[in-house]
Amino acid sequence: MRIDGVAVAGSGVVRFGLYRERRPAELARDAGLAALHDAGMTLADVDEAFVGYIQPGALLGVKALKELGLTGLPVTRVENASATGLVALREAAWAVASGRARVAMAIAFDKMTEMAGGGRRSGSRGTGRDELDATILPAAYFALWAQRRMHDHGTKPETFAAIAAKNWNHGARCPWSHRHADHVVTAEEVLASQMVAEPLTAMMACPADDGAACVIVAAEDLVRARQPGRRLVRPVASALRSETYSPGHTFLGPVVGPATMTRDTAQAAYEDAGFGPEDVDLALCHDAFANEELEYYELLGFCPEGDGERLVADGETALGGSIPFNTDGGLIARGHPGGPTGLAMVHEVVQQLRGEAGARQVEGARRALAHLVGGGSVCTVNLFEGVP
Amino acid sequence: MTTRIPIEDGYFTVPDAPGELPRLLGSRCPACGEHFFPRRLVCARCLAEGCEDVVLGPRGALWTWTYVHVPLFAKKDGSVGAYGVGQVDLPEGPRVQAILVGGPDDFHIGMEMELDLEPLRTDEEGNEVVIFRFRPVDGEGPA
Repeated sequence: MRIDGVAVAGSGVVRFGLYRERRPAELARDAGLAALHDAGMTLADVDEAFVGYIQPGALLGVKALKELGLTGLPVTRVENASATGLVALREAAWAVASGRARVAMAIAFDKMTEMAGGGRRSGSRGTGRDELDATILPAAYFALWAQRRMHDHGTKPETFAAIAAKNWNHGARCPWSHRHADHVVTAEEVLASQMVAEPLTAMMACPADDGAACVIVAAEDLVRARQPGRRLVRPVASALRSETYSPGHTFLGPVVGPATMTRDTAQAAYEDAGFGPEDVDLALCHDAFANEELEYYELLGFCPEGDGERLVADGETALGGSIPFNTDGGLIARGHPGGPTGLAMVHEVVQQLRGEAGARQVEGARRALAHLVGGGSVCTVNLFEGVP
Repeated sequence: MTTRIPIEDGYFTVPDAPGELPRLLGSRCPACGEHFFPRRLVCARCLAEGCEDVVLGPRGALWTWTYVHVPLFAKKDGSVGAYGVGQVDLPEGPRVQAILVGGPDDFHIGMEMELDLEPLRTDEEGNEVVIFRFRPVDGEGPA
């Protein structure tokens, strides 16, 4: 179902990175204030809030919201692993589309740098690798996908490295990107960095981050009235799916999840929006590891299966190409604190569709896509359009 | 002789006889015949209730693998060794993800793997706590 009559009123981000001395609620406050300032609002204008975080702790979201004021507004926690931020936006958009709220806030915070690395139950070696259903590092299970890709399609690690280098270089143009390389990053440099899990090297992986981000959506007429002359950004479709069973499904252990999940979710989003990948001007995806982005070119419908390498070789997914991916640096450069990641994506979409993305501006960008997977078990694809 | 006990009940057998391979404890749907690991009540394929207990394995084909050189990547603990990880397709259908026994040059996609038990530690009662792994069957070498 298409989301009608909803527009972004404001967005804000606390640059992702390491914030040892700052409480999560402070990070949330600063992202919330940035979005409220961008919207020209205070919390008094907000009818409902959806708060996302992955880190453990009951009611942290409600408590964080108090930093922005105590207005009695309903607050609901959203948690869907790495997809959390986009799912919070989905709930906020539908709260407005339903008529139940005129203004709704999606806000997320996390301190990934303080989250434990496993070994919770056995503690035998502290890695969690000695548990039945625990931590095999994300690098490992995304590497399993990369190895299979190389086997099936003859993909070379150089392609993954080229994607990572592109995102590092996009990040250098984004003020709130965690990683700002002081030189142009090359694929050779990415390949030569530390091998983490074959074939993935350290520079093909996202960093661990702290951070916060916030997006406020509102009834379109309200945004029009309050922000005359500003280009309008509408969330028009938000598809969310969990896994569909197919033979060979892996139930035990941390996994990437079935690749078909992204394909099916994208198809649902395109149907809801009434346009397809050929109409999308830029995309942001879950590039926690560079090989994922290659897969998503195909699964999101931007090229046929097995054709992703050509897009990379031709530079089509870099700024200046026909379908730039991860214009803010993606998870690899902009960073990935967890919950806030999806809302930082939307913040970038808003800059692009307003035509305010500066050195990263995709010329004439009118439609954008934001994709995340979470815990190998959920996928969300969100479509936006910008209008004068 | 030390008694071997599984790290968690209900996932794999621990044979008494030395040399006998462990098996995985799975389920079979009586309605559609689909097999699952680990055990479950409701069939994930046809949604019938009442899956039956079966044992699976002990051999299968390596569907994909990797070798983790930096087990605690970004977590700064150098004391943990490197290890292989893979997904093994059992002939009954399930794809099982597990740690692999072997070095970085020991694996290739499609090779035959078999279940193995690895001792993790000794508990307070003196039992040896074990977990399942996959290892290449004898004669299976690198590609």
